[in-house]
Amino acid sequence: MSIPVEKSKHEHPETRIAAKERRPVRTREDGKAYIKVYVWELPVRIFHWINAATILVMIVTGIYIGKPFLGPLVHEDATAFLMGWVRYIHFFAAFVFTANLLARWYWVFKGNKYATSNPAQKAFWVETWQTAKFYLFLRNKKPHYTGHNPLAQLSYWIFIGVGSILAMLTGYYLFFEPQPESLFGRMFSWVPMIFGDSFMIRSWHHLVAWGFIVFIVVHIYMAFREDWMERNGTMSSIFTGYKSEKKLKGKQHDDESTKE
Amino acid sequence: MEKDMQTIYQSVLSRGFSRRDFLKMCAVLTASIGLDYSQNSEVVKAMEVSKRVPVIWLQLQDCTGCSESFIRSSHPKIESVLFNMISLEYTEALSAASGHQIEEARKHVIENYPGEYILAVEGSIPMHDEYLMIGGVSAKQTLLETAKHAKAILAYGSCSSWGGIPAAYPNPTGAKPITDIIKDKPIVRVPGCPPIAEVMTGVIAHLITFGTVPELDHHGRPKAFYRHRIHDKCNRRAFFDSGLFVESFDDEGAKQGYCLYKVGCKGPTTYNSCAEMRWNGGVSYPIQSGNPCIGCSESNFWDNGPFYTRMAKIPGTQTTINPEVVGAGVIGATVAGIAVHAAVTAVMNKKSDKSNKKDKVDTSDKGESREEDK
Repeated sequence: MSIPVEKSKHEHPETRIAAKERRPVRTREDGKAYIKVYVWELPVRIFHWINAATILVMIVTGIYIGKPFLGPLVHEDATAFLMGWVRYIHFFAAFVFTANLLARWYWVFKGNKYATSNPAQKAFWVETWQTAKFYLFLRNKKPHYTGHNPLAQLSYWIFIGVGSILAMLTGYYLFFEPQPESLFGRMFSWVPMIFGDSFMIRSWHHLVAWGFIVFIVVHIYMAFREDWMERNGTMSSIFTGYKSEKKLKGKQHDDESTKE
Repeated sequence: MEKDMQTIYQSVLSRGFSRRDFLKMCAVLTASIGLDYSQNSEVVKAMEVSKRVPVIWLQLQDCTGCSESFIRSSHPKIESVLFNMISLEYTEALSAASGHQIEEARKHVIENYPGEYILAVEGSIPMHDEYLMIGGVSAKQTLLETAKHAKAILAYGSCSSWGGIPAAYPNPTGAKPITDIIKDKPIVRVPGCPPIAEVMTGVIAHLITFGTVPELDHHGRPKAFYRHRIHDKCNRRAFFDSGLFVESFDDEGAKQGYCLYKVGCKGPTTYNSCAEMRWNGGVSYPIQSGNPCIGCSESNFWDNGPFYTRMAKIPGTQTTINPEVVGAGVIGATVAGIAVHAAVTAVMNKKSDKSNKKDKVDTSDKGESREEDK
């Protein structure tokens, strides 16, 4: 079943955002008007789903810790350990989240060109502005991107990048707060100098968590919208890794030779 | 002043106590200043050789609550602190003298015991002098003058430690903690509104016993008393871990003594020793009595309210919000925004489909971007 060609109706200027030379991107010819580009390599997909799962777990458990919305079935403090378990799951998820994020940072340097982002160039910000205008239905010169557009990249820098760091610093401080003399306690003992006292650190942690929730809502909408508008298989790409690209002048996909 | 030349031991004996009583006092003292019993002999030795220390107790922008707490100390008993360990030369609340006489006494101590006396400060300091003048001198001036030759300074209470209630928003007097004004003296912060009496006397006892300030944390609070959060030593902690919470003050949970977390208890963010020292000679403390901790020993506690709700503070502001309520609102707004955006997208898409069909012939491979807004 071929995807109707007439649906891809827009022409786009070329992106000027420079990407580091990385290994050639794998593509797959489907013999039709489209070419399948291997955008999200396996580590990226694994990261994405572990990240999503741990964040989701931490949001649910975190809201419970902040505002316990359930009581134990057995009202007996000797046997019930509800808050204890919820906190335990939250902390466990936090460690998985951290390890996962570290692995992803390794992949920033080792992955294909879609696994990284370099905002330290003018074109990035120019095209971010164009992308923002695109999403605000204004006249724009947004290029077509196979991977993330720069606005999306920026949102990952803000939420997955800075947001994760804020959440981890404040979270680990709170986790080790009762043992300030321990090794890990000392590792995070400087956190109050930036974020303020125990109450302020909690507030930061809380607000960052809500920032993550807003991000998730927008992120999922944007992904569905992209899939719907571009018909490029954005949604399935996070499972398979492949996105469909219109065959264009042969230039957009840096290599079409490494066919599977 | 001759009596001040006696050691603490001598002054105890001269009051008719036996050596055995003296040793008992020392043991209590060791425990109350947070030391191990093995250090008892050091305390005894110190008490045998040290002399009573002159103390100047300044009351600035305060409510005398700290003084009131101090005089209720039971271990060590306030009488033994006042008559055996320190020589309280100046205090507005307890001195018999007043006016010029008492100001004279203060100057006398500064002149005769430079580098020996301890300065205890209760209350915050207004940056606008007109808000507090004592004997025609501004509070800041009095503090600087008295602190100059002090051996050490005790910041008693949240006001002198953090600014406290006078520094609460909008802080009309420009109240500051003494740590903002005095930088060159060892300052021990003993926050609380008021601090626990035994903590107040315990800190002063340590100073007198060892001649040094006790081990302090990064906020300058003695670790012996401010090392743990109330939450970590709370007698209701088991209910927290069980997930059993008081929902309102008249429910079954409140009767059963469940955790007060959901009614705003600030125990998880409050460093103090209420849970183990307790109040009024170890009788009880707020959480034990069924009231959530209001976090009185933490900086800005007055602005971190309301007391009976769990809140989060927006960084850089004085504004506290209920994060779940605000968060749900923000999510609602986001979803509404998305719905609008999706609707606009759908309309635009349809429009472009139509125009696309109209000039379908042109939009072949080489077509220049006809639809710039997409």
